Amino acid sequence: MSPVTELMNCEEYREIISADPAFDGAAGHLAACHECQEFRRDMQSLNLKIAKAMQINVPELKLPELPEIETENVVPLAVRKPVSKPAWFALAATVLLAAFIGVRMFGVSVHYDSLGEEVLAHLDHEPAALSVSSTPVTARRLERVVPADVAELDHSAGLITYARSCEINGKTVPHLVIQGEHGPVTILLMPEEAVAAAVALDGDNVHGVVLPVGAGSIAIIGARQEKLERIEKSVLKSVKWST
Amino acid sequence: MNTSRAEAARRRRFDRIVAVFHADMYRYAAWLCRDKAIAEDVVQEALLRAWKSLDALREEAAAKQWLLTIVRRENARYFERRRLETVDIDNLTASQEALLAEAPNEELEALRESIYELDDDYREPLVLQVLMGYSTTEIGELMGLKQGAVLTRLHRARLKLKEKVADDERS
Repeated sequence: MSPVTELMNCEEYREIISADPAFDGAAGHLAACHECQEFRRDMQSLNLKIAKAMQINVPELKLPELPEIETENVVPLAVRKPVSKPAWFALAATVLLAAFIGVRMFGVSVHYDSLGEEVLAHLDHEPAALSVSSTPVTARRLERVVPADVAELDHSAGLITYARSCEINGKTVPHLVIQGEHGPVTILLMPEEAVAAAVALDGDNVHGVVLPVGAGSIAIIGARQEKLERIEKSVLKSVKWST
Repeated sequence: MNTSRAEAARRRRFDRIVAVFHADMYRYAAWLCRDKAIAEDVVQEALLRAWKSLDALREEAAAKQWLLTIVRRENARYFERRRLETVDIDNLTASQEALLAEAPNEELEALRESIYELDDDYREPLVLQVLMGYSTTEIGELMGLKQGAVLTRLHRARLKLKEKVADDERS
């Protein structure tokens, strides 16, 4: 038992046991407190009743009509973790997109002071890229966006749900999106954009990094709560410049 | 592997996974939407989506959570599309009543109604924990919540049910 759970008072113990009746910590407290023993028994008894009440009839399995899948065009991808849908993220992106279109319509050219600034601004140009999805892009599309003469991908970075050629600093770069634990994670492969060291990116509700990779760089951006270290490692492992 | 063999292998994999987890998918959908017909629709849509994105599932060990995540998303989509009001517990339809498996039992019936009456935010983690056997960490991952938030919701859900049971016993 951890010392922390041993030091629980009655209120804390009851909160835990009512959240998880199988909790078996705080044995010291439990042995000394008859009220908590009774509360625990009540909760476990209630839980059995809840389990019984939740039993429902399950109808026979009827499969829907399953469309043909082009198995040779489907990219094998890593399993994704469940994600929450950050609706605010898409909304914010849409608003910023509208603002950007407004600026473009009035012919005002946009200048960015740094690569990081341009990368963050680019995210707002493509709200479609930020939708939560579990459908992978096809191998054909991926090959078009990431041609073999630009980079090789071994697909271990994660489920690629979006792939499009975009422009960063006047150069066409592959814009990919994988699904992280807290929503879409953007990956920009920039084989011709060299950076001396990793550049941290800090945008509205997003964070990320531009990592130096050979003669180029890779930008990885996700929701603020997304832990990017694991994704950075797998992306670096899965991408190899062809030139 | 040629295309037809790959297709056959893909289909066999899908059938195997669905055979194991179909009941869980249906139960989860039914407790999310509280309607038999809607649950069947949601499961059908979820199966279709699972079929299309089966290649995204690398590890069979993750299949249950993967499928339940799809069910959860399809349920949300269904209600988004139909813009349905949540089910009024006072107006249970025959379809909803037909969900229930146990023989009529007054105490159990009262408890089911109390579970139905719980807010979605409280009912869902309870279903995942009691019916699906998920840990609070796994529930947090599936619902996009921190573990502390899951514990709070489960604590409040059980206290509400405990109070309801006590009220029923008194009356």
